[in-house]
Amino acid sequence: MHEIWGVAGLVAIALGLSLMLSDSYALKVVTWLSLNVLAAIALRFVMLVGELNIATAAFWGVGAYTAAIATVWLKLPFGVALVAGIVAPALLAVAFGFVTLRTKGPYFMLISFAFTEVLRLVYTQSDALGGNSGMIGVYPPRWLDGTYASLVVLLVGACLVGFLWLERSAFGKLMRAIENNDAVVASVGVPVLAIKIAALTIAAAAAGLGGGLFAHANRVISPGDFSFLVSVYALAYVKIGGEKHILGAVLGATFLTLLGQYVLSFGQYEHIYFGGAIVAAMLIFPEGMLGLLQRWGARLGLVRAPEPATSRGGH
Amino acid sequence: MELLAQLLANTLQIGAVYVLFALGLTLIFGVMKVVNFAHGEFFSLAALIVAASMPLLPAAFPSWLNYLVALAAAIAAVAVLGAIIYRIGFERYLRDLVGSFILSVGLILLLQGIMTEIFTASPRPVDAIVTGNVTVLGARITAQRLLIMALALLFTGLLYVVLQRTRLGKALRAASEDREAAMLQGIRYRTISLYGWLIGVSMAGLAGALMAPLSPIQPAIGADYLIKAFIIIIVGGLGSIPGAIVGGLLVAAIESVCGFYFDLTIATIFMFVLVMAFLLVRPQGLMGHVER
Amino acid sequence: MERAQILHIEGLSRRFGGLTAVSDLSFEIYEKEILGLIGPNGAGKSTTFNLITGVYRPHTGKLTFAGTDITGKKPAEIGRMGLVRTFQHGSILSELTVYDNILTGAYMFVRDAGARDRRVRETAELVGVSEMLGDLARNLPHGHQRLLSIGIAFASRPRLLCLDEPLTGLNGSEIGHALAVIQRIRDGFGTTVLLVDHNMHAVMRACERIVVLNFGRKLAEGTPDEVSRNPEVIQAYLGGGIT
Repeated sequence: MHEIWGVAGLVAIALGLSLMLSDSYALKVVTWLSLNVLAAIALRFVMLVGELNIATAAFWGVGAYTAAIATVWLKLPFGVALVAGIVAPALLAVAFGFVTLRTKGPYFMLISFAFTEVLRLVYTQSDALGGNSGMIGVYPPRWLDGTYASLVVLLVGACLVGFLWLERSAFGKLMRAIENNDAVVASVGVPVLAIKIAALTIAAAAAGLGGGLFAHANRVISPGDFSFLVSVYALAYVKIGGEKHILGAVLGATFLTLLGQYVLSFGQYEHIYFGGAIVAAMLIFPEGMLGLLQRWGARLGLVRAPEPATSRGGH
Repeated sequence: MELLAQLLANTLQIGAVYVLFALGLTLIFGVMKVVNFAHGEFFSLAALIVAASMPLLPAAFPSWLNYLVALAAAIAAVAVLGAIIYRIGFERYLRDLVGSFILSVGLILLLQGIMTEIFTASPRPVDAIVTGNVTVLGARITAQRLLIMALALLFTGLLYVVLQRTRLGKALRAASEDREAAMLQGIRYRTISLYGWLIGVSMAGLAGALMAPLSPIQPAIGADYLIKAFIIIIVGGLGSIPGAIVGGLLVAAIESVCGFYFDLTIATIFMFVLVMAFLLVRPQGLMGHVER
Repeated sequence: MERAQILHIEGLSRRFGGLTAVSDLSFEIYEKEILGLIGPNGAGKSTTFNLITGVYRPHTGKLTFAGTDITGKKPAEIGRMGLVRTFQHGSILSELTVYDNILTGAYMFVRDAGARDRRVRETAELVGVSEMLGDLARNLPHGHQRLLSIGIAFASRPRLLCLDEPLTGLNGSEIGHALAVIQRIRDGFGTTVLLVDHNMHAVMRACERIVVLNFGRKLAEGTPDEVSRNPEVIQAYLGGGIT
């Protein structure tokens, strides 16, 4: 319980700081950073049942398109648009999960990859969704001028606390148990598939919220924004920050987002540097920054040394 | 009849390249339990080397000879790059699905960026190696496509024989079926997985080098093949050699028929819908066995 | 006196490819007994186990548990009905704490958080792992891991507890302790136990009745005394070698 209050406190501090900012560039960075955290924790949540859900990007995209349609075409209030952007991917996740979550490991990973890329093809084929050029004019309401970044921090912070609470609950322990050995969990009567679908749906709802917030922050969306790379970056945040604790995702997202801002100044070399950074980080600290900090802390006698990482093999 | 023959010829021709590409991917997965998302980059690299080096080779030689030289050089380059990447990176992420995924996607960004720097993003056409048309069963195919198809079939057959008949092939198959049992038989897993990886990326390179004369080549071309290769191995079963062959031909057939009546993007979407329907019935894949 | 049946197995068969693993197998398990299932290697014990618990679908035959037909039901459904098993290998959740391991077993059966906590502690006490509730399961000694696997299954308070080779790798005193735990579960809670194990002496000691399998068929059935004097059983074990 202390841990959850502690994280809630951190969120409150971040919210307070974001309210004090007025520089528009800084507010932009805060928005991107928070959205990256949300993508990372949504991806990580499904990792708790042992699956790598590349379709996080797909649900992100469905949330973005749904919210954009609600705002641009239907002229619905901003709040309704966001809720629509949460509900649509969640419903899609129930159907997608029902079909695909009976597979696991590499199969689920490849199917979720294919799903993401195929959905992107669907957007490009749809004239109604603007084809390759996407949708424009996804404006947030006027009353959020100057405070949009803080709203994003608040909502992402709420998701962060919510995910941590779920992870520590009996349901969360069951998720970890499924990752560990699903046959044992099924033998004591637990409906494993239903729990996996529930986990996927919750994560898809969070990703959909992220997509809706992204669309209104960016004002423009196009199919290229929702490639599998969204999930790859999210996974990089989780891995580089450290996957054992949800705050690792925050740490990784912060580090790589700020690095990304710096790398942007390289212009066309952006991809090379970002790819290089991911590869280098994987090779230099495979346990993530959290593991590194823990190791340093252990050397100073502050915390226990991390347990050796166990690899997540294929099934 | 003529249309059918044309579609069949088309299927075999695209299918041969898909099979080569997917075979490499499935072989790497079988032995290393790693999904190589950077597989397309090896395809692109070989294709780019062929496309870039053909104009530089002496025009006095027959162009088929120049092509074979370029093809050999491309495969050699892919193998060398593959060996370096294995030693620095994948060796540490054997049997680690998540770690190897990030590493291979990092490599996509890195390699694609570097290739765009070196070769630029503009498509490169390659001059015809052989000219003229051939009519088989009423289907008209260019001699060049027939040659490429024959080469692809030849190499697929060669790989099949290597896997079925040679000691290396037996060790590779043993390591993909049961690592522990293979190690008990004295098979050195790390050595075998290096060979599996090198053969796998060389297959991707080969597919790329064979595609180079057939379509304009640019650094992102390999990525287009990746999603189809994934569909192939989901349907065929991860790590299954016959599955990759059957799956490759199946995907090629759907693509030629669907591509003829609609377009290629619709064909890909349709394929995915089929895969989802298929998974409802057989979650373990076409050739896969029931688990446990 | 006719005792009530808890599991009725009738004409069970299962083939794998061309091989028949279990063939026309019928036997009953009665309420509150400890029944042993033994047989030489490859006799079909594991297959029988997997058929009873829904991991495999039988090709023919019928399974009736507490009066309900459970043929073809999924493992989780069967588990919810009160027929719970342990596994020969990897029967624990190695990356979770001992507490969370047992909690997983109780999850579907105890809804209230306080009651769930009591269930976990009571079960840990019963199988003898209450000193190590906070430890990761993979750090336990092998003997305690085996007891924990019984604890996970028993946390669901099943009506029929099926134990798949729970004594493998245990030393003499650990075997004694594990058998005492099984006795306590039956005597204290009235749970029926199906015990499959290689250790003949231990099975003879713990069980009231024994079913002997050979080549996927039932070879003999009776008290430990009857079974051990049965010439066919002796022949099968001498032929296949006692393991």
